[in-house]
Amino acid sequence: MRTLSLGIAALLAGTTAMAQDVAQADNEWFTAGQERVQAELAKTQNTNTARNVILMISDGNGVGSNYVTRLFMGQQAGGLGDDHVIHFENYPNLALVKTYNVNSQTPDSAGTGTAMMAGVKTNIGVVGVNSNVVRGDCSTLPGNTVTAISEIADGMGKSVGAISTARITHATPASMYAKTVDRNFEDSVPEGCTEQTDIASQLLEAMTGGLIDIAMGGGRRHFVPEGVEVEEGTGGRRADGRNLIEEAQEAGAYYAWNMETFAAAPLDGETPILGLFESSHMQYEADREDEPSLAEMTAAAIEHLSQNENGFVLMVEAGRVDHANHATNAARMVRDGAAFAEAVAMADEMTDDEETLIVVTADHEHAIAMNGYCARGSPVLGLCMQADNAGIEHTGEPILANDGKPYTVIGYLNGASSVLIEQPGGEYFGARPDVTNEEAQDIDYVQQALVPLSSETHSGEDVAVYAKGPFSHLYDGTIEQNVIFHVMHHAMTAE
Amino acid sequence: MTMQTTRRRALALAAGFIAAPALLRAQGDEAIKLRELYAGDNEFSEFARDSEGERITVEGFMAPPLQADSTFFVLTKMPMSVCPFCETEAEWPEDILAIYTRRKYRVVPFNRKIVVRGELELGGYRDPETGFVSLVRLANAQFDYA
Repeated sequence: MRTLSLGIAALLAGTTAMAQDVAQADNEWFTAGQERVQAELAKTQNTNTARNVILMISDGNGVGSNYVTRLFMGQQAGGLGDDHVIHFENYPNLALVKTYNVNSQTPDSAGTGTAMMAGVKTNIGVVGVNSNVVRGDCSTLPGNTVTAISEIADGMGKSVGAISTARITHATPASMYAKTVDRNFEDSVPEGCTEQTDIASQLLEAMTGGLIDIAMGGGRRHFVPEGVEVEEGTGGRRADGRNLIEEAQEAGAYYAWNMETFAAAPLDGETPILGLFESSHMQYEADREDEPSLAEMTAAAIEHLSQNENGFVLMVEAGRVDHANHATNAARMVRDGAAFAEAVAMADEMTDDEETLIVVTADHEHAIAMNGYCARGSPVLGLCMQADNAGIEHTGEPILANDGKPYTVIGYLNGASSVLIEQPGGEYFGARPDVTNEEAQDIDYVQQALVPLSSETHSGEDVAVYAKGPFSHLYDGTIEQNVIFHVMHHAMTAE
Repeated sequence: MTMQTTRRRALALAAGFIAAPALLRAQGDEAIKLRELYAGDNEFSEFARDSEGERITVEGFMAPPLQADSTFFVLTKMPMSVCPFCETEAEWPEDILAIYTRRKYRVVPFNRKIVVRGELELGGYRDPETGFVSLVRLANAQFDYA
């Protein structure tokens, strides 16, 4: 009782006084906790109008995937990993985000992209339309399209950009410029579909019409006719015979396809820029050759767009965190996750918090999971190690499961690397492969999964949104994903 | 464990199956990773160029073959459950290895790691039956579980 009274008195007098009354006052965790409280007390709200909004999405980077990347980056920096702070984890405002689509507990990037960029949740697999649309049925499109933040920004005289390491026609970047009843209509629509065009055509239209000022990513094949081969041996996929790259150039756009042409791009704020650096998705960061990094593309986009005195809206996607998770290849997932963090830091460095709202989030999580009880310093891509009761770091001995084999820190609930093997007769059973710490950390290692599926799936688990700049404090609590749009919209339009 | 042994024996009896891993190791062949054959954009590695025509051992996974009773399959560095012919939209990785076995082989599940030993062939080749174009192959190959 006495302690409690003293504690209350100390709180009233400030935390320093309280610290003098507790035995652990000099403990580094205790003082760090006090410092955090002071930092929270010192926080102020930024209610400026956001001249610029940068929405940065790491596709598939839910709280679990992000935690794995945090450990990886921390361990790469020579630490134990857990205590590492990714650049955007320092941002002052945070919320948890519920990502489900209107008709799907487990969301996809089309429904989530639309939620973030147009402010309404919609169905899985559709882009820029509401949930009245029937996926794949073009006749349901009229009357059901939604207005994207890019169009609102354009109406305010701002410049707009979309960049991604996935195909630029993929669901997330498409949410900035396309209205389609199916995310897969990347270069064609079904016969008889007259209500919309394909996604690549819609991007061209958005660029020639002045909506999109810079678009960079992969997906070259969707802009080139079938039977035509262009840069890097890319064979075109377009059945309509159009060459959208040539059409863009004829309309005055600059086209970049490798590092040399990327470096030569006229970032003058006037010339529309189209960058298509791969036939399909851009390379994983771990394999990247002759392509710009996400940070380099982000820097180019900001340099280009920031010349508009009315400001800009930019969407940046790390598209391949998702793909590496789909492949249960955590080694590539974390490297693309780290590249995303660099891109966010780049955007932050190039802009001013007083006028730029930076929103960092993911569209959905994956069926990724963490094993236990791994001791401190267990290599996040390697084996789960035994704790040292007399020290901090692990003993170097892996924990063995009941089957006598070690297991990795990370696992997946489903995927092509399932430990269940199809037997003659069609049944599935199996034994876990034995894996060494070295093998598990190989760039091509795929973590053990349970349910056998051709591709690991998304999950409906929450993602986080980290934010700084005007009205970023409105990201708070647990929110529906479409609220991400509404805070950006409020910040852009606040008087 | 019993089933594993049974299956192993069944495989051993199957046509096309010859060497056991212990034997491969006894021959002094450390299995290489598929990526060791490549050195960037469509270029072969020094190891690949030096090993052309020689028997080498490569680890990987058997992509689901298009047809049964074949002597051809594709080795991938990661488990791929889609066959390269069945799914036109499949994002097929660049670093794959075409395998031509000595005899007809029994299909191994796509997610079971195998080691393949065969003669390394470099250069473009179009499979007359499937139309599959490969740049690098193992010919007269044998394989077993890793």
